[in-house]
Amino acid sequence: MMRQGISTDRRIRQSLLVFCAMSCLLPGVAQPENLIGKNGLAIVVHKDTEVDNLSMHELRNIFLANQQFWPNRSRIILLVRAPQSDERDFVLDSIYRMDEARFRQYWIAKMFRAEVPRGPKIVFSTDMTLDLVVAIPGSISFMRADDVTDEIKLIRIDGKLPSDEGYPLK
Amino acid sequence: MINRPILTSLLLLCVTLPGIQAVHAQNSGEITLSDLSDPEFNFMGFGDISYFSRDGSSQDGFVIGQAVAHLSAFLGNSLSVFGEFSATGKDSGYSLEVERLMVKYDFSDLLKFSAGRYHTPIGYWNSAFHHGAWLQTTATRPEMIKFGSKIVPIHFVGVLVEGTLPRNALGLSYHAGFGNGRHANVARSGDAGDINGDKAWMVQLRAAPSQFFGLEMGLGFYNDEISPGDRPDIKENTISAYVAWTRESPELIFEYLHSSHELLSDSSVSGDVDAWYAQFAYRLKDDLSQWKPYARLEKTEVDNTDPLLFDQGLDYEASILGVRWDFNAYAALKAEYRNEEFDNGGRENNFRLQVSFVLTKL
Repeated sequence: MMRQGISTDRRIRQSLLVFCAMSCLLPGVAQPENLIGKNGLAIVVHKDTEVDNLSMHELRNIFLANQQFWPNRSRIILLVRAPQSDERDFVLDSIYRMDEARFRQYWIAKMFRAEVPRGPKIVFSTDMTLDLVVAIPGSISFMRADDVTDEIKLIRIDGKLPSDEGYPLK
Repeated sequence: MINRPILTSLLLLCVTLPGIQAVHAQNSGEITLSDLSDPEFNFMGFGDISYFSRDGSSQDGFVIGQAVAHLSAFLGNSLSVFGEFSATGKDSGYSLEVERLMVKYDFSDLLKFSAGRYHTPIGYWNSAFHHGAWLQTTATRPEMIKFGSKIVPIHFVGVLVEGTLPRNALGLSYHAGFGNGRHANVARSGDAGDINGDKAWMVQLRAAPSQFFGLEMGLGFYNDEISPGDRPDIKENTISAYVAWTRESPELIFEYLHSSHELLSDSSVSGDVDAWYAQFAYRLKDDLSQWKPYARLEKTEVDNTDPLLFDQGLDYEASILGVRWDFNAYAALKAEYRNEEFDNGGRENNFRLQVSFVLTKL
C-alpha cells in the first residue's frame, strides 16, 4: 500500500511537472514576440563601424541591399537569422514588409540581376550573431535588446535607443 | 564495355562533383569565419518546361524553355565576377549561349564599374526577369522583348557604370553603358567586336521612392549605328520608360518603348517603332496566397517607312490571361491563354502550361 501511495504521489508530481512544463511552453510560443515588442529589437554593428544612428529609411535601404557600403566605403555585411526565429519574423514584418516567400524571391531577384555579389549571411542563434558581429568588420545584424553586450555597437534608430520611448522597432 | 561518351560523362561528373558540392555548401548561406577571407562562390539555376497549343499549329507539344545557370564569385571586398549561361531547345537541337559574363568592381554605392556582356539596361523586363522564368509572374515574355527580339537590343558587350545616389528619398540610381552595337543580324549583339566601329551608348535613370516601397520608375535612352548587311547603315535612337509596382497585391508593370530608325545616307528615309505592354496581377490573400491571376495587353507598331524593320512582320497585338500557382517555394505552375495577332494576319489563340523553377538555397 505504501509503495503504491508513493508511486501515486510520484505520478501526481510527474503530471504536475509535465503540466507546468507545457503551460510554460504554450505561452512560450507567443512570448518571444511579446518580448521583442516590449523591449525592442536592437540593431547592432561591429564595434569599429563609424555610424551611431540610422534613420528607418537608411536601415531599410541597408537591409534591402540598396546601400551596400558604410560612409567610410567599407562593405556592409548583412547577417540575418534563419527562418522560424522570432527576430527574423519581426524584421521581415517591420523592416522588409515582406513575408517569407517574398523575402526569398527578393534576394533571388537581387542576385539574379547581379545587383549584389552575394545574399545575406544566415546565422542560427543569438550567440552566433554576437560572435560574428564581433569578428566581422562592417557587419550589421539584429537581436533582442536584452541580448546586446558591450562587445558590439548598438545603433540608434531615428535617434532613439531601444530603451527610449518611441523606438521604432518595438 | 563502356563507350566513349559515357566514359567522358563519368569523368566530367567526377571532376565537377566536388566543385558542385563545395558551391552548394557555400551557397547554403551559413557563414563561417573562413568564408570572409576565401573567394565565395554562388550558384543559381533556372529552368522551365512548357506544354503549348496554338491554333493551326502542327507543332503543339512539350518544350524545354531554357536551362540557365548563374555562377557568381565574390573575390574580395570590391571585386566580383558574374556569369549566366543558357541552353535553349530548338528544332535543330540545343543552342548554348553566354548570356551574361561580367567582372565588376564596386568603388562605392555611387560608382560600380564593370566590363562584359549584359542584358541591355533598357526598360524594365529585360533587366528584371530576363532568363529567370520563375521570377516573372507570367509564363511568357512580352513580344517586344522576346528572346531574339529585333525591336529591343537585348544584349550588349562593353562597359557599364552604375550607382545609387546616397541618401536620397527618391531612391535615384543610374546605369550608363558604352560598347558594341548590334550585329549584322540585328537580333544579336556584337559579341566579337563592333561591326561598323560606331559604338552604342545608353543611359538609364531609375527611381524607387522610399515612401512608396515597391514602386520603381525608369527612363532610358539608347543610341547606335547599325550595319544590317543587306541594307545601308541606319541610325537608331530608342527611348524607353516604365513604371512598376511590385508589391504583388497588386502588381502593375507598364513599359513603353519608342525607336526611330533613319538611313545615315538619306535622313528623309526614316520610320518609327512604338511598342508597349501593360501587365496587371494580384496575389490572393490568406489561404489562397499561392495563387496569382494576371492579365497583360501588348501592342507593337512598326511604320511602313522604317528602313530597318518595315519588312520583318513585327506588328503585334495580344491580350493575355493567366494564373500562377506557387505550389512550392522554389517552383511555380502557370497556365496562360493568349489571344494574339501577328503582322495583322488575323487573331489566333494560344495556350501554354508551364512549370518553372529556381535552384538555389536561400
